[in-house]
Amino acid sequence: MAAAMAAGLGRRAPRLCWKAAESLLRPGAALPGVVVPVRGRRKRPPVPEWARELSPEERERRLKSAAPIFPDERIERTFFLACTAEIIDPYVPPEGDARMTSLSKDGVKQQVQKLRQTAASQLALRKIKDHIPDFSTKTFPEKAQEIFIEAHNSLANFNKQKLHSLVTERCYPDMVRGNRYKTIRWRFVESLEPPRVVHVRCESIMNRGNLYGQVTVRMHSRQILAIYDRFGRLMYGGEEIPKDVLEYVVFERYLVNPYGTWRMHGKIVPDWAPPKDPIIKTVMIPGPAPDPSEQREKVK
Amino acid sequence: NWARTKNLWLASGSLFPLSCIHTSTSLQKIGKIGKWEKKNRIVYPPQLPGEPRRPAEIYHCRREIKYSNDKMWYLAKLIKGMSIDQALAQLEFSDKKGAKVIREVLLEAQEMAVRNHNVEFKSNLHIAESQTGRGRYVKRLRCHGKGMFGMMKINRCHYFVKLVEGPPPPPEPPKTGFDQAKEYVQQLRNRTLVHTL
Repeated sequence: MAAAMAAGLGRRAPRLCWKAAESLLRPGAALPGVVVPVRGRRKRPPVPEWARELSPEERERRLKSAAPIFPDERIERTFFLACTAEIIDPYVPPEGDARMTSLSKDGVKQQVQKLRQTAASQLALRKIKDHIPDFSTKTFPEKAQEIFIEAHNSLANFNKQKLHSLVTERCYPDMVRGNRYKTIRWRFVESLEPPRVVHVRCESIMNRGNLYGQVTVRMHSRQILAIYDRFGRLMYGGEEIPKDVLEYVVFERYLVNPYGTWRMHGKIVPDWAPPKDPIIKTVMIPGPAPDPSEQREKVK
Repeated sequence: NWARTKNLWLASGSLFPLSCIHTSTSLQKIGKIGKWEKKNRIVYPPQLPGEPRRPAEIYHCRREIKYSNDKMWYLAKLIKGMSIDQALAQLEFSDKKGAKVIREVLLEAQEMAVRNHNVEFKSNLHIAESQTGRGRYVKRLRCHGKGMFGMMKINRCHYFVKLVEGPPPPPEPPKTGFDQAKEYVQQLRNRTLVHTL
């Protein structure tokens, strides 16, 4: 292409060649035919008489017709929205959820809390059942827990293919960020309470009818987590320390897609959650810079 | 790309007629990743509880510094084996041009160590290796008087540094005469007699 242009034009060839090449590298950035002032020893040819009185559009048109530059097809990439960007209408877990024993009255009330209380969840559940007749709030939590365990195991083994199939695109970077050069050991010891569905929402994104369903599952379980840094030194947790964990995990599925699967979408961390364990190393938090106008104390 | 669509959703209140969005990708800079940069990517297996703690090693380099390789070598050998604070102090008060560059590289490496490589104390590092390499040279005309010219080389260099966690190793004691004598005697004793009974 460059050779053909050089044969046709002569001196103007280098400039336009460069412009065309640039438009190839950065599609959409530079319009073909735009004249850019170039510094250098080579002087531009004087503007011919027929061009002096014309408007810039006329000039462009004539230039274009003189040197036809065929812009390559705009390099576009279509992609498929397989998940939403956030948790729709997040579930607000009641305070002190797993603290109360089932022997007290409040504890029993919490345990007996059923989905039927929230109307929005019921509506969403009905919409999901329209698209997936097999869906049931009784069988789903076990499958959800299996997906949860599989996802964390493939995170520990860095099996990216499997992780992508078990976890949505919104959740994947949250799980994987900062872990590239670390070793993670995770084990699911046991489930302390049977998982149950607490919240269902169904919403369409972009178009009406483009439905995504989100289901929040409450899981109370015992897990072991140990993270080692690049050199094999323990950074967080421990191999022999099981921790009791109460989690509200959100699963999502693209309902309109017949090949969609339920995938982990995110976790809801309530405000009253106990703080996490500190990491093993000490971290310096820089304080305010000392003012030079302050008097220095005498050092003995 | 999916992150960009999130902004589109938030920005546009109205619904699009089509449910697919066209975007274009930007080409990333194509460059060969050098061997020294790749050394930061090795991951060791987790240590067993009985093993001594493995010291962290951080590799950092800067490429194509506009300075001569030979001149940079003096600075590199100056700071080799020092602790990082001492090295920074020495470079701060050195008059050479390369000292400023090496100081920047050391500060960058220290920052990287604390943030990315799980180093606890930023002063607990020492310089295990410090080397220079020749960068790409370019030949240019140097014009003299009376129409004479010479070809000059524009020198560039690379600088490589390896920081290791821990106090700097103690310097080797100088070899005494007694050590040399011991070695000589040992050499004499190591001789074997061949083709004998």
